[in-house]
Amino acid sequence: MSRRIAIVEDDPAIRENVADALRRQGYEVQTYPDRPQALAAFKTRLPDLAIVDIGLGAEVDGGFTLVRELRALSETLPIIFLTARDSDFDLVAGLRLGADDYLTKDVSMPHLLARIAALFRRVDVLSTPGHAEDIVVRGHLELDLKRMTARWRDKPVELTLTEFWMVNALVKYPGHVKSRDQLMSEANLVVDDSTVTSHIKRIRKKFLAVDPDFDAIDTVYGMGYRWMAS
Amino acid sequence: MDGILTGMRWPRFKFSIRAKLLLVSLVLLAIPLLGYSFVREMENVLRAGQEQVLLATARAVATTLHDRPALLERRAGETSASPSEPSEIEQIVKSLQRSNSRIWVIDRQHRLLALEGGLRRDENEEAPPQGWWARVLHTLLRPLYTLLLERPREDFDDTLPEEVLSGGKEVYSALAGVPTSRWRQTADRRAVILAAAHPIWVGDEVVGAVVVEETTNAVLSLRNRAFEQLIATTLAAFLLGAGTLFVFANHLSRRLQRLRDETERAIDAQGRVMHGFQAARDRDEIGDLSRSFAAMLERLADYTAYLERMADRLSHELRTPVAVVSSSLENLKSETVPEGARVYITRAEEGVRRLNIILTRITEATRLEQMLRHAERERFDLGRVVSGCVAGYAGAFPAFRFELRLPERRIEIEGSPDLIAQALDKLVENAMDFSEPDRPIDVSLTVEGNEARLAVSNEGPELPEAMQGRLFESMVSMRGEARGSHRNTPHLGLGLFIVRLIAEFHHGRALARNRPDGKGVVVQMVLPLAAPEPRPARSESELRNA
Repeated sequence: MSRRIAIVEDDPAIRENVADALRRQGYEVQTYPDRPQALAAFKTRLPDLAIVDIGLGAEVDGGFTLVRELRALSETLPIIFLTARDSDFDLVAGLRLGADDYLTKDVSMPHLLARIAALFRRVDVLSTPGHAEDIVVRGHLELDLKRMTARWRDKPVELTLTEFWMVNALVKYPGHVKSRDQLMSEANLVVDDSTVTSHIKRIRKKFLAVDPDFDAIDTVYGMGYRWMAS
Repeated sequence: MDGILTGMRWPRFKFSIRAKLLLVSLVLLAIPLLGYSFVREMENVLRAGQEQVLLATARAVATTLHDRPALLERRAGETSASPSEPSEIEQIVKSLQRSNSRIWVIDRQHRLLALEGGLRRDENEEAPPQGWWARVLHTLLRPLYTLLLERPREDFDDTLPEEVLSGGKEVYSALAGVPTSRWRQTADRRAVILAAAHPIWVGDEVVGAVVVEETTNAVLSLRNRAFEQLIATTLAAFLLGAGTLFVFANHLSRRLQRLRDETERAIDAQGRVMHGFQAARDRDEIGDLSRSFAAMLERLADYTAYLERMADRLSHELRTPVAVVSSSLENLKSETVPEGARVYITRAEEGVRRLNIILTRITEATRLEQMLRHAERERFDLGRVVSGCVAGYAGAFPAFRFELRLPERRIEIEGSPDLIAQALDKLVENAMDFSEPDRPIDVSLTVEGNEARLAVSNEGPELPEAMQGRLFESMVSMRGEARGSHRNTPHLGLGLFIVRLIAEFHHGRALARNRPDGKGVVVQMVLPLAAPEPRPARSESELRNA
């Protein structure tokens, strides 16, 4: 049974290009140009993964509304925002709504495919209990590489896919400095430096929310970041 | 903002509205001047009147005597009258006499035939002014009066000098048949005497002369009283007028100052329009001004917001077609494409990559500004950030040589280390763009007084004179003259603008100038040091080890 992916995107060229690339990978793809059509279809049958643009035709924030409605229908459905908007504000708003990842449209197709594959792997692991675990432990940090979840001092830290990959890249070799470029490629991401900076900032904040004394991510100015083994 | 402010030359000393209105009130001084000339005129009229009256008196005496030539004859025969009984002449004279005047009669030989009356007035003639307010004013102003006005004195020497009797001009004229008057000073120069002489005709012959004398003291005291009143009234008018003007000016300048303060507060250090300008409701010009400021600021805010959104919109609008191109290219790669066409795909991809960088750069400044609004400030060691960054550049750009000079001690500033690193990136990028090949790029951090100076200097073309002030503005670039082409990336002239934004976020400034040795350019950020902490701050590694 092939996976079903829904693409909600108002620009026909991008919609079809992404759909073609996904179909070539063997996915079954449905495309919707606006929110009402997509919602009607989702109510009948949920896809296995949804890729949603924020601006949908006349609805400037139609994507946000759609994701909220979609989350009400399913709590576990993987959702990716694929949008031209790159402001921090939209990014935070999108992730708050429960999207698993937030990508700008300049993401390359292989990177998009890697994310989709990773999200499906996670769904598989979650749906088959008792599956062998693949857990990395670094001090107080526990990374479940299959489920792509993180725990700090036995408390869960909610990370997006991008953030999880960045943390994973950092803890692979504790103490080694990872440059921004390295972090980007590990996270299957092509963005500018300041986006990496703000991702790291958000990761720190998420850990700090769990543990106010968290200081394991160290900034090495001019070079990058490293994980400090405590 | 800094550039704009230093561009404007504020006048060094301030000439306030208050001072100007006070100066204007000096016009009121014309009133006492007018009054003065009026009183002078009045004095002249009084003097002329006095002269006429004296002449008339003299004529009256002369006319009376003219009917009795015998009197003159008889008297002329005697050497002197017995002092005890008044002669007939003296009786006549007495009957025509005015108070405070002296009348004398002489014959042709200048012999004194009769002398009647005295010139002195009663000393206490001047009654104090009526009413308590006038009295208070009078007492207050008395020193001023004494200073300005000449008081008539009654202690003058009133003897009839011989030379007047024998040689006075008026006496001669009168004896020659012409009525004349003359002012002369007393011998002791304490008073002025007006003398009017009239001939006494008997038939066709002048037999003697009548001289009537009076001091001008009566006129003087009249004039003085007028002056006193004038001074008192004009002083009161002046004080009242100037006081009113001062209060009014105060009110005006307070309102203007408030307007100025509000206007200054309306735009923040980053040049953004802040909301909260309260338009005044007054129905006058200042109220109008305030309302037009409010309207202007509102429009400006709209425009700024439009510009801020503009870059975002533009980049957003362009991103979608660029994404169409790049996703199409990626799909195309999966298709079977003749080998000869692959090179075009590669070139198209390279073009798309550059487009994407341009789009990112366009929004970089706007995103930075958004970030600055929410950025958190912390205290950190500037030296550590700079040394880390420079070590990073050495690894990232092996084609360039970096020389770093750092002070020994910690240099703590308040702000965001990430932002400082970003600004240093831009400074170094700029230096590499203009650097001569194989010449080192100097990065130095020094402390001068309360400021840290982070300077990046390169050898290369100097700055044109016209560019020096504008280098830190948005979209200003000298890229056309840059030699560096180590990166095939587009340049939009936003780098130094970002440096300026970050320097201003740290309450500092950015400067660019030619090197003293004339070989290149040094661009620097001047940042205020953090205020010294009461206890020494623990370094981060100490904290971590704790």
